[in-house]
Amino acid sequence: MQLKKTNALGAAALTLLGGTSTAQAEDRGWVFDTATLIYSELDGRVSAVEPKLRATKTLANDRSFSVGATVDVLAGASPNGAIAADTPQTFSRPSGTGQYTTAPGELPLDDTFQDTRIALDGSFTLPVGKQTLTTSLSASNEYDYLSLAAGAVVSRDFNQRNTTVSVGANLASDTIDAVGGAPVPLSIMPAPGQPTGRAEASEDKQIVDLLVSVTQILSPQSLMQISYSLSQSDGYLNDPYKIISVVDGNGDPLRYAYEGRPETRVKHALFAQYKRFVFDRDVLDISFRLLTDDWGIGSQTLDMTYRWNFSAARYLEPHVRYYRQSAADFYRIALFDGEENQLEFASADPRLGQFDAVTLGLKYGQTLKSGNEWNLRLEGYTQQGSTDGVPSQAATALAGRDLDPTLDAVMLTAGYRFRW
Amino acid sequence: MKPWAVQATPEGDAVCIRFSAMASPCEVWIEHVSEPQAAHFAAIAWGEAQRVEHTWSRYREGNVVHRINTANGVAVDVDDETARLLDFGALLHQESQGRFDLTAGVLRRVWRFDGRSPLPKPADVAGLMDLVGWHRALWRAPTLRLPAGMEIDLGGIGKEYAVDRTLALLQAEAPAAVLVNFGGDLAANQPRTDGRAWRVGIGNDGQPAPGTPLIRLTKGGIATSGDAHRCIVSNGIRYGHVLDARTGWPVPGAPHTVTVAAATCSQAGALSTLAMLQGSAAETYLDQQCADYHVIR
Repeated sequence: MQLKKTNALGAAALTLLGGTSTAQAEDRGWVFDTATLIYSELDGRVSAVEPKLRATKTLANDRSFSVGATVDVLAGASPNGAIAADTPQTFSRPSGTGQYTTAPGELPLDDTFQDTRIALDGSFTLPVGKQTLTTSLSASNEYDYLSLAAGAVVSRDFNQRNTTVSVGANLASDTIDAVGGAPVPLSIMPAPGQPTGRAEASEDKQIVDLLVSVTQILSPQSLMQISYSLSQSDGYLNDPYKIISVVDGNGDPLRYAYEGRPETRVKHALFAQYKRFVFDRDVLDISFRLLTDDWGIGSQTLDMTYRWNFSAARYLEPHVRYYRQSAADFYRIALFDGEENQLEFASADPRLGQFDAVTLGLKYGQTLKSGNEWNLRLEGYTQQGSTDGVPSQAATALAGRDLDPTLDAVMLTAGYRFRW
Repeated sequence: MKPWAVQATPEGDAVCIRFSAMASPCEVWIEHVSEPQAAHFAAIAWGEAQRVEHTWSRYREGNVVHRINTANGVAVDVDDETARLLDFGALLHQESQGRFDLTAGVLRRVWRFDGRSPLPKPADVAGLMDLVGWHRALWRAPTLRLPAGMEIDLGGIGKEYAVDRTLALLQAEAPAAVLVNFGGDLAANQPRTDGRAWRVGIGNDGQPAPGTPLIRLTKGGIATSGDAHRCIVSNGIRYGHVLDARTGWPVPGAPHTVTVAAATCSQAGALSTLAMLQGSAAETYLDQQCADYHVIR
């Protein structure tokens, strides 16, 4: 049975009960959600530890307050964008001091990759007339990157609370203080020991996100949500540390150019989710996401979880996710000699290339006698790419090289939820 | 010897507290409470059920209802809580166009639904109708003046009120989900921690009627009006025990039982009682109210 709208009798019953409804949770202090993620890419690449904390307090009159903190500690080596070569390759570090060398046949990885990011956010929800308004502020900081954002979402129920429509906006302003300054796009990376030739100035970008979402209860056991979001980014959208190999006809590197991306990006995303209560016990959750942007990237995500409540206080939740994306129009695995001076944009960042990815996971959760809950989730991720943007003049020579960006990672998450 | 019994579920994830109050079997389920802790919650639940029964029962001397019913035409001032109950009864009187009436209790002098008594004589019913009618009461909080001889009976709303009140008191202290069930009138504060609903059989006096479905209750209240077993059958006509305060006679075509789910047990009880009083139009009325209901005819 589902609760329907409050009518005159409902209002009178609330008055009778002194304004406290059993349908509204009393103020019960704080609820804390804690989780720690350990992420490790195989082949000794990036590893990360990410503790998270969220505290939520429900106040009287449908108001609630939530604060969250996340710390990311990253270490390891990340592809710098250059391709493997038959000879050792030496790269100068972004700071201009020091260098690192990659062995023949190896994918060049920048091992200076170390970072600690701290993110804080707070949100407040309150009723405004017939609507619910949620306002939020967030900030994240790492040594070369600062992001500040503010947002608001307005929701309203219709059709006896069976339909909820939400409209929201979020504005973010990011400042990038690249180590050694931001390089000029598609300029040549100086050889080790040479001055960096970078502009010593901070760069910035602004992001506007708009969201419209409709949630519809289909039956007492099922609901569906469809949302559309539009995201516009303006400003410095490059990764200041990513380079791209400039090769000759034999596919051997002549030099390296810094990547250059457009200064605007518009993304459209469509998201549909279906949730169903099955066997009076379990929850099935299927979602599909379509994304397209004006860089030429299109992606499709299919995500499914099944929560099997096999006993009163324990559950197992298998998870499968399939993701595929097409490459950006300016994605190039490498440039041919001279192309760096003709092209307007080029990037060899694997995240802008074509790839398919599969995530498989299993989560176990248990509710303790105290009402607190802990859970453990293990997930494996594998990414297979296909090579795009091979310079035709060097295609034959590069055909024998393994250029496909692949990535395998394991994620372990431990969570605990308690009241205080 | 405590007036309640406590029993933990086999899984140990909840306790059930059982006692008797308001002429009904009462039970309270609380998740994530150990048996030793349960005594504290049992005392709260039992205490509140006792308080509601003692404060507003028309069978007890010295309480506010007794004072009103023996005032003999003199105005009586009542406390805030009683005033809220009277306001609620007054609204039900208005919403039901007079079918529901706090002053209809006197009709029990001639109507006995014990399965043995015959129908009352129409003259006897008519003789009592001068004592029935909330419109004759002068009610302006906190003062109530009833014409001499008239009485009020809060029995039609008291049990549901006790359920809501008990739930509110328990959830202020309980660690997780709570379900209060007083003789088939129920309320729950939240879904169980594993996301499942409480499963409740529709019935009366805690006995699920055979062949009725189980209801899943996650949050809010459920109340049932009517009783398939209490009626008078005369010349092949079944007279249910729900009396229309405008006539003093049972409502023709009333269902056996009406069960309603709503945000609170008090709201559910009001809807089920008013639907019952609509007789053959019970379902129509509930549909108009957008109620969530189950009717057995």
